[in-house]
Amino acid sequence: MSKEDEGKEPIKEEEGEGEKKPSEVAENQLVSSGIRIGTTIATKHMKPFINRTREDGLNILDLNKVVSRIEIAGKFLSRFDPKKVLVHTTREAAYTPVQKFCELTGASYILGRIIPGTLTNPSLPFHRDADVLLVVDPQIDLQAIEEAKRMNIPIIAICDTNNVCNFVDLIIPGNNRGRKSLAMIFWLLARSYMINAGMLSPGEQPKYTPDDFETKLEKDQEIEG
Amino acid sequence: MSSLEAPVCASCHKPISPKENFTKFYCPDCGKVIIWRCEKCREFVRKYKCENCGFEGP
Repeated sequence: MSKEDEGKEPIKEEEGEGEKKPSEVAENQLVSSGIRIGTTIATKHMKPFINRTREDGLNILDLNKVVSRIEIAGKFLSRFDPKKVLVHTTREAAYTPVQKFCELTGASYILGRIIPGTLTNPSLPFHRDADVLLVVDPQIDLQAIEEAKRMNIPIIAICDTNNVCNFVDLIIPGNNRGRKSLAMIFWLLARSYMINAGMLSPGEQPKYTPDDFETKLEKDQEIEG
Repeated sequence: MSSLEAPVCASCHKPISPKENFTKFYCPDCGKVIIWRCEKCREFVRKYKCENCGFEGP
């Protein structure tokens, strides 16, 4: 628990789904990645996942629910053929996490703008056949959600506290803006997927660390180079 | 001649028309029960519950 969090009573503590404690990944590591930091806006769809509101107005997500939902999403995705799992993002901070996730799991991905008809028009050369869609932000990946809706494809979305979750079938609550947060979410998702698909034993770790999943800034790359 | 029964939405419990943009998937948690969701319930983010494990979504 950080200094700013000390001495504050949580607004709402719900039992049930979020009872699992993040055992293998250190809680400090999860908190420092900013995975639970939301925005000042809280939509009614995301209120069940919000733990409390900080003094500066930021809504904080329930960490146990975040981790629990990521594990459930990994389990859910592992039941599909990996080639039919489509991950889409237009957010640049999520490019590397998505690429690494798809490298580990064998899923396909579309980065950047999705051309209309990609999922709905089979006569197009770039048409993709998907059984499930994973988007990083339902607010900016609207075209993909619209096409998945028309094709009756279940939609999983990483939603922050300000997201409206229309047509989303499984919400993964989490900070979908931060580089570290996205890296941590996709690393946990990849690990859960691999464990449930039998590619990894429960105690084992994937070959990449959460740091490898992070999208590097140009400044960082210059320093490393 | 046997009659076909329309699938029922897991949220509103109404029969789903094949013309609407419904979806179906196995319960994300237990994977044993098929959950059907009608277009309206998807649009209005209505909750669904798995009959087997009690998982509540979305």
